[in-house]
This record gives sequence, structure tokens and C-alpha cells, in this order.
Amino acid sequence: MSELTKEEEILKEIKDKFSDAVENSIIQRKSRIWIDLSENAKLDIMRYLKEKGYYHLSTITGFDEGEKLGAIYHITNHKIIINLRVRTPKENPILKSVLPVYPSATSYERELEDLFGIKIDGLPEGRNYPLPEGFPKGVHPLRKDVKLEELNKMLNEKCVKEE
Amino acid sequence: MSKMQIPLGPQHPALKEPENFMLVLDGEMIVDATVNLGYNHRGVEKAAENRNYIQDIYLIERICGICSHSHVSCYINAVEEIAKVEVPQRAKAIRTIVAELERIHSHLLWLGVAAFELGYDTLFMYTWRDREQVLDCLELLTGNRVHYGINTIGGVRRDITKEQADEILKKIKYLHERTSYYVGVVTEEPTFLARTQNVGKLPKDVALELNAVGPTARASGIEIDVRKDEPYFIYDQLDFKVITYHSEDVFGRAVVRVLEVIESIKIIEQILKNLPEGPISVKVGWKIGPGEAVFRYEAPRGEDIHYVKANGTEYPERVKVRAPTLANFQSLPYCLKNGYLADAVITIAAIDPCMSCTDRAVVYDIKKGKKEIFDWEELRKYSIEFYRKKGVKFS
Amino acid sequence: MKFKDKIILWSRLKSPWIIHFNTGACNGCDIEIVDALTPKYDIERFGILLKGTPRHADVMIVSGPLTRQQAKRFKRIYDQMPEPKFVLAVGTCACSGGVFDGCYNVIGGIDKVIPVSAYIPGCPVRPEAIIDAVVKLIKELEKSAK
Repeated sequence: MSELTKEEEILKEIKDKFSDAVENSIIQRKSRIWIDLSENAKLDIMRYLKEKGYYHLSTITGFDEGEKLGAIYHITNHKIIINLRVRTPKENPILKSVLPVYPSATSYERELEDLFGIKIDGLPEGRNYPLPEGFPKGVHPLRKDVKLEELNKMLNEKCVKEE
Repeated sequence: MSKMQIPLGPQHPALKEPENFMLVLDGEMIVDATVNLGYNHRGVEKAAENRNYIQDIYLIERICGICSHSHVSCYINAVEEIAKVEVPQRAKAIRTIVAELERIHSHLLWLGVAAFELGYDTLFMYTWRDREQVLDCLELLTGNRVHYGINTIGGVRRDITKEQADEILKKIKYLHERTSYYVGVVTEEPTFLARTQNVGKLPKDVALELNAVGPTARASGIEIDVRKDEPYFIYDQLDFKVITYHSEDVFGRAVVRVLEVIESIKIIEQILKNLPEGPISVKVGWKIGPGEAVFRYEAPRGEDIHYVKANGTEYPERVKVRAPTLANFQSLPYCLKNGYLADAVITIAAIDPCMSCTDRAVVYDIKKGKKEIFDWEELRKYSIEFYRKKGVKFS
Repeated sequence: MKFKDKIILWSRLKSPWIIHFNTGACNGCDIEIVDALTPKYDIERFGILLKGTPRHADVMIVSGPLTRQQAKRFKRIYDQMPEPKFVLAVGTCACSGGVFDGCYNVIGGIDKVIPVSAYIPGCPVRPEAIIDAVVKLIKELEKSAK
């Protein structure tokens, strides 16, 4: 019996139940499962996993891969972390909010909107987080095409103009 | 009940800064609360991509001065996982000692700050004076009182000598006595109990739903602790308890923290009496990866999680940090609702937020139909005065 | 110097009132500043009082790198302080931006926006260094009074 029984079990269940949605999956090591899945099935898979005890959303990591943006949802039952990765095209990045399943996701989803410019469908109106008020609209600092020195220059010029 | 979006108050109409807390009052009770963040955003994640892995250690340390070792250890464990590095046992043991010393210092700091917010100045002075012993231990081991810089990729930078170990054991023994005294204060002092029991209630099911972490979750009876759930360093070889309490209130959070200090003292004693021999680090190249890793760590405030993606160069592709306070902020509005305005200060302090976050509050009174801005100091004085009139005051 | 001015200066020297401002720090320097109040270092024996409002303060101690969202508010609080006023940049971040220099939301050290009387480096600054700086400041005040 391999050491990774529990991980293999849960991965098999997901792949059996949502075979169309799972694009790629790997058990990286003990307690770490990585699944690339399609955005459409994301909420169903999350609901399924939450019932199975994966109730804790640790955080959501946004990323920029060039042509695509995306998010990794790190959910756990405190023993195993399942990392669910979804992607969305950069020309029109939209992801569905996971608030219906994980009500603690608000700040993490606002981060995706502010820092990557991914529109979160279903996120209620609210103050920006974490960027301050007055940060130029349409500039998303964590995107790869935003270079740090240019960003600093632009923000410094903007500050000078406001004085 | 629909939330009211209230624009900034009348005192400084030209001010464009965000308030952190927006409280809606009905008489003395808070009926709704919103928490807004983003006060302290510096841009660390972007900067981390432009610095190499070693430079990032010093950057990530300074995300928070109180739990700097936590952030670095979490980040470094993720990097070491990608680099497939086997860290020597002695290094892990030293990292654990510093981690537990940090937990003690953080909890004593919290106890002092909580005492100060309640108006209990003597307790504040006592705890911070005793906390100096911990800072002395840390300075002895690492050379600095805050921001220890002891971690490097592949191990630790300084070894521990027999004399240092003996000195730390002595100070720890003194701390054990002092903490037992604080346990007594927290659990028996009537004024402390009056201000913390049944305040800031967070029921277990709500805490689970909102994914609370750390002492906040453990005080609601949830037995989670990354040191036991996913042991790192040498925690799997150590004997210690996960402290939980059932009261779901600020009192429970205080009890959990004070008892955790005792557990941390026991952990340090176990390690120092049985320190593994061997090297303190292994050599790791400048270039890491490619690969990605996620790591969870039990910081004093709760679960800290870092994600690192490496692309084979000296610079990380992506570094993501989620500090524990952010997770607990999601539960804060629930804790504040249906409580008195006078309890707001200690309720917010009880989740142990970074001090710089708790700055200004806007209070909207439904009956009077007007809003005022309180700053933290005013709200604190109001709370102490409110309870003094009820007969609860600290001498 | 007029007699009334001498009395005012004497009271300032004997009991400088301080306001502490955090421009986006990691709290490392903040806890060392608060530490200076606690029994081991006890800055209150110099008559130094930590006050909440800028209108009564002689000295502003600032920790943290200057973040963009804090810059305006910081300048406004400085302007509210009555003359003569002194600013201590506490910690490497306040002196020059420290490790955060180059981050997109950090402008740099606090001297980008207001004049600084004394720079206290350190990451974080030690309580002894804070006391040393305040004592040096008091000596400077005495010298300028003569």
C-alpha cells in the first residue's frame, strides 16, 4: 500500500466524477495534489470537495502566464492541500466568484481584480484591495508586462502632478 | 439586513484615506460592521520577482516585524522543496527553537497590547518587561532582537553553542514561572474576566465557514495547528499539545495564547536538551527550479501560506504570501456584530492584527442618523470609561 | 532670547512631547519604540511623553518607508505641528526606504516629503539608539537656546 493512498483516492474520485473538466493532475508529494481544470466545472468540483471535508480555502494565487491569466485555489482539509488551477485568456479575463462555496474568499478575489485585472463574476461591490485609492485604473502591477522601473516612474510622475 | 455604504465622515471632507472599520450602531450596540484593508500595501510580491532568492529572504522578513521568522521559514521551505534540498536536522532544530521563541514573544506582546487596550497598564508593563527575556535569547542566538536573519536556503546561518543553550534554558525557566502567573491573571482576575468573557463571540460553525485560523479558531474549539496537521521542521519528533478552548470569545483567545506560551517553553526545553549533531546548512546554487511549491506554517497568529514558482533562473517567477491576519479579518465583522461599541477595541485586538492595521474607525449611529470618526485612541478611552461606569476598572 | 521664550524652551527641553507616526512600517521599529517606554529602557524618565495629537507635539518620530497612500496625510500631520518642531526618522526604512526601496507603492525615505532633523538607522532600531537620539536632540535644543 503506497504512502499516498488518501491522495490517490480523492484524485481518482474527482477524475471519475468530473472527467471532462480535469485537464491535468499530479500528486506532487504527500499532501500535495495539483489539478488543472476548466473554469466551468470549478464550482461543482469545489462543492463536491467541500462536502468531502475540504472546507478550508487557504488563499487564491493569481498568475500571469503570458497569453493566459489564471488563479490557483489552495483548499485543504488540513491534512492534504488540493491546488485547483484555472486559466482565462488575457484579452478578456473573467473568472467566477467562489463565494457561494467559500465565503472567506472576498479579499483574495479582490486581489485578483486589483493586481491582475481578472474580473470576478459575482464579487459584490466594494473598496479596492490591496491597491490604494488613486492608483491608476487599468494598471495591474503583478502582470508580467508591467515592468517595475516603468511602473515606479509612472507613479512618481503622477505624484508630482498631483502636488 | 442590507449593508450601508457610508462615505467618509464630516471631520475631514478633503481626506481621501480609507477607514479600516465601519461600524453601524443602534444605541450602544453594533448592528453591522465592515472591515476594509489595503492600508499598508507596499508591493512586496512584485519586488520579490525582481530580486534573487537570497535577497527575497530579507524582503519577506520585513513583511511583519512580529512574525518575521514565520514568513521567511515558510518561504524558504517552499524554495527548498522546489530545489529538492535535504535540510540537516540540526538546522531544522535551530529553526524550531527560533520559531518557538518568536511565538512566545508574539503572544506576550499580544497580552501586553490587550492589557493596554483594556486599560490594564500594569499588566502591559509586566508582560513587556518579561518579553525582554525572550528578546535577549533571540539576540544571543541570532544577533538581533527583531528580524533575526537566521535562515538561509539550505539551513541556518549561525550555530548554537553549549553556553548559549544553557543561557536560554535559564531564561526559559524564569519565563515559565512568569507565564504561570499570567495564566492566573487571565483566568482569575475578575476585571479581566468581566471585559473578555462573552465578548466577540465567534461560534464554531461560523469560524469553520469563514476559515478562521490560529488562536482565534482554536478558541472556538477547532483543533487545527499546522505543526500537528502537516509537521515541518522537527515538530513530528516533539511532544506538545494543541491548545483549544470552548468559550468562543475573547477570553478563550487569551487563554489559548497564554497556554501556548507554556507549550512553546516545553518545546524549547525538549530541543535544547537533545540537540541533534551535524552541519547547519547544505550548499544550494543560485538558480532554483523550475517547479512550484506551496507551504503552510503555524505562525503565532495562525496559518501562514506561501506559494513560490521557480523558473530555473535566480529570480522567482511568482511569490505569493497570505499572512494569517488576512484570514482572520474575514471573521471580524461577525465578532463585532451584536456586541457593544465599547467591546470593539478588544474584539479587534483579540484576533491579534498587526498594529499598523488598526488605525481609524467610522461609527454611524442609526438613531441619531449621524456619523463620527473615532480614532483608535478615542475608541479605547471610550471603552475604558464605559466599563468604569459599570464598575469594571483596573487599579 | 526673551524670558517668555526661555521658559517655553525650558519646558520643551524638560519634557518633549512626542507623536509617533507609522508610514507603512512592518511594525519592527514600532514595537521597539513602544519598548523604549517599558521598564527596561524607560524613556519616560527623560520627561518624554507620547501624545496622540500633532498640535501638542514637539517631536514627531516616524517609522516605516513612505507609502504612496500615506504621503499626503503625513504631510498634513507635519503641517499641523507648531514650530519649533523636530522629526526623527526612526529605522532604515524611514531614512531611505530600506529594503522596500523600489517597491511600487513606496516613495522612499520620509525626507522625500518633509525635512528630517535626525536619522536613526537600524533594522529595527534599538531602543538605546532612540534614547540616544532624543538626548542628542535635547542637547541641540539647549545649544540653540544659548
